[in-house]
Amino acid sequence: MSPATPATAALRGTPLTTTVVGSYSVPEWLGRVKTDYYQRRISAGHLDEIHEVAIKAALKDQELAGVDIVSDGELRRDNDIDYLLTRIPGVEIADRAKTDYYDYYDARVRAPLPEAAGMSPGLAADFAFTREQTRNPIKFSFTGPFSLSRRIRGTGYDDAADLVRALARKLNAQARELAGAGADLLQIDEPFLAGYPEQVDLAIEAVNIVTAGVPVTWALHVCYGNRYARPLWEGHYDFLFPAVASARVDALVLEFARKGFDDLRLLKEHAWDRYLGLGVIDVKSAGVEDPALVAAHIRRALEVVPPERLMVNPDCGLRHLPAEVARAKLRAMVTGAAQVRKELGIRPSS
Amino acid sequence: MLIDVRPVAKLTGPNPVDVAGALAPVFTALSTAALDLASLRVVCDWIQYRHNFYEPVEVRPVLADRPRRGEPDVGRERPAESGLEIAIDMRRHRDGGLAARVTKALAEQAGDGGTGHVLLEPWQPASESCLWRFNTLYWQALSHWEEATGREYEQALPGGRSEARDTGVAGDLIRELLRVWDELDARRALPEELYIAELGVGNGSQARTWLDTFTELDRQHGRDYYRRLHYLMGDYSAHVLDRARKAVAHHGDKVSTLVLDATRPQQTLAFLRGKAFCVYISNVYDNLPADDVASIRGHPYLVEVRACLRRADAAKIARRYHTRPGELAALVHRLLRLGPDLLAEAAPGQFRATGDAVAFWQDTWSALRLRERYVPLDGLDAYQVTPAMTGEILRPLLESCGDVRMHVSNGALASFAGTLPLLHPFGRLQCHDLFLTEPSGYLTGFHGPGKYDGSVVNWVNGPLLVLAGNRRGFDVKITPARRPGASVKMLTAQVRD
Repeated sequence: MSPATPATAALRGTPLTTTVVGSYSVPEWLGRVKTDYYQRRISAGHLDEIHEVAIKAALKDQELAGVDIVSDGELRRDNDIDYLLTRIPGVEIADRAKTDYYDYYDARVRAPLPEAAGMSPGLAADFAFTREQTRNPIKFSFTGPFSLSRRIRGTGYDDAADLVRALARKLNAQARELAGAGADLLQIDEPFLAGYPEQVDLAIEAVNIVTAGVPVTWALHVCYGNRYARPLWEGHYDFLFPAVASARVDALVLEFARKGFDDLRLLKEHAWDRYLGLGVIDVKSAGVEDPALVAAHIRRALEVVPPERLMVNPDCGLRHLPAEVARAKLRAMVTGAAQVRKELGIRPSS
Repeated sequence: MLIDVRPVAKLTGPNPVDVAGALAPVFTALSTAALDLASLRVVCDWIQYRHNFYEPVEVRPVLADRPRRGEPDVGRERPAESGLEIAIDMRRHRDGGLAARVTKALAEQAGDGGTGHVLLEPWQPASESCLWRFNTLYWQALSHWEEATGREYEQALPGGRSEARDTGVAGDLIRELLRVWDELDARRALPEELYIAELGVGNGSQARTWLDTFTELDRQHGRDYYRRLHYLMGDYSAHVLDRARKAVAHHGDKVSTLVLDATRPQQTLAFLRGKAFCVYISNVYDNLPADDVASIRGHPYLVEVRACLRRADAAKIARRYHTRPGELAALVHRLLRLGPDLLAEAAPGQFRATGDAVAFWQDTWSALRLRERYVPLDGLDAYQVTPAMTGEILRPLLESCGDVRMHVSNGALASFAGTLPLLHPFGRLQCHDLFLTEPSGYLTGFHGPGKYDGSVVNWVNGPLLVLAGNRRGFDVKITPARRPGASVKMLTAQVRD
């Protein structure tokens, strides 16, 4: 078997690289099994095995669709927040049973997080499992410190911003472990940031704590929320600028397909000179995009960002879509990107 | 044998129901019946609707397997049964000869299952029964019904009026909206068009109350949001919409009316997706098609029904309209397809004028009965609750109550789930209706279907809507209405997290 391709190399070698944001379709049966676990009806070992099978299937789906950089679909996670919060020492969760696995816990922090203690178990094992299952380059995503902090009651800090910074330090340690395990494309997701535009400076400061000293390609994903396939907020990305220019990340991964592409102007106005992850698939709609429409979106983005700095991806995670729809959408995305590559005379990726 | 006495609230107090007195004749009848009593359930209910679809004694088979479509349901080849349910209406158990009624019902069940009735349809889930086509006809031909009865439909609502004229509820909601709009405006996130939608508009009094209150509060607020406001009124009945439109004529083009199917709101209102700041629904959900499911000895069953007329009623109706009982089913289905106007034209031998066809409609509706049976569900996911939802959504409720029979509220659920995506992230759905608030409510009472005027009324499975809303990221609360003594409750859904 040929060695796995590093994601960074794939990005550099393939203009219009296709990838995913993170989560993959969660079948109804998997949701039910997860809920059974949180209601103490099945054991953790059985759920782990089920997760592993589901991750293998998700990887296979992405490979068959032709996606260049794949993910584990975040299928082990109950939701974007709790999977991380439950691993952070000092975050208290009084009741760990859930009516539905996707519900958020009621999490509290009553004292400063212990600095010496790391997250346990760490995320590197998740990456290592995925690495064993695919030769494709891998993107590994986790929720950022600002969004994590929004789901914690009380701070244990005089200044609430210090909790965000403390969470960022925990995630930085995780990022180092992930890099040590071979991850070279890490993505920070900030799904709640759009609801608190006035705190963008704090969020970016925390992002820089997460990325500090971790020599990988970093992406920052900011969307308008995708919980239950619904936007949590509406608005425009103008709140991100100019603050995001100071983020030590290599790529900005944004939602466009659902909201429209007007905000592309912001990248031009603020001379964004790094990668753009262009959302070309509306993950809140079960309608499958025509590849020609995807191609049209890409051409529009090319007016602002050159092909070697353009990644093509869905608006956000695919978790709320039925598997057949998710597969069809990924195929449409890949076909649309291939169409534009062909127009530009770019050879297909190997 | 299992004996299930549901109206427990009536077993105590100054005039308790005499359960022993009701059950004694049942056991007398059973002592001579050739039945496997170990697989028998005797269910005592209290059917509070004076006009309903049931006899004081009903016998319902519990099938061993799901019958194939078109399988004979009479004679020796009818589906095998694994049990039987005898249902007694405690409100009417004194209506004479309960033992004889039980014996007769059991004999009929043991026979071909249809000798005492003129059958109007095959066995099917309740939501597909013609009783809901009667309900649809009521709303489509409401003016004829009202003319015949001499009263408007709102007078038939519980308490004689809807919650629509409650300015307090409207005022609270509007003040909250104004606050949210100010916030969004400050963040440049307020859309230019501000949409409010109402599904099931009644006589327009809700819209008028809401818009008049809004005009006043917006004037006091001083931001002139009224200029950007659009109030959309949707209803199944063009007649109802026309009448409602007159009630809000003074708001001019701020109001638009749309004929729509409440169970498929997105078919008409897809353009509103994510844009509606409030969707108001009053007294609609209890009037939408619904199935029943049951958990019997831990296994899930779908209740299948077939509409019928008692032979005696059928004979009387047939005589009155110059036809034969055997031709009534076809005539009923022509009525449901054509409505009274066209039926009178199409069948002049039976109906001299539209009024006669309306009278036929009222007579058959009054005599309409439902027979029921329990059909096993191979798996909850094999039962399609709505086009987008399987029976898996029912699992937590069915598993929480032991043996229970409950409404699925399919139409209400489809409407509710189809409406939620219309809401703006800061929007809310507000609904006045007859809601159960706990699944255990089904263990202790009968909640429909019943007949209200020419329409069906069926309490809505509130916990099911709460669950469906939660699974879609909404906080759903059901609270008592403000009007003292009202059965109607208010459901509110808003985005959570």
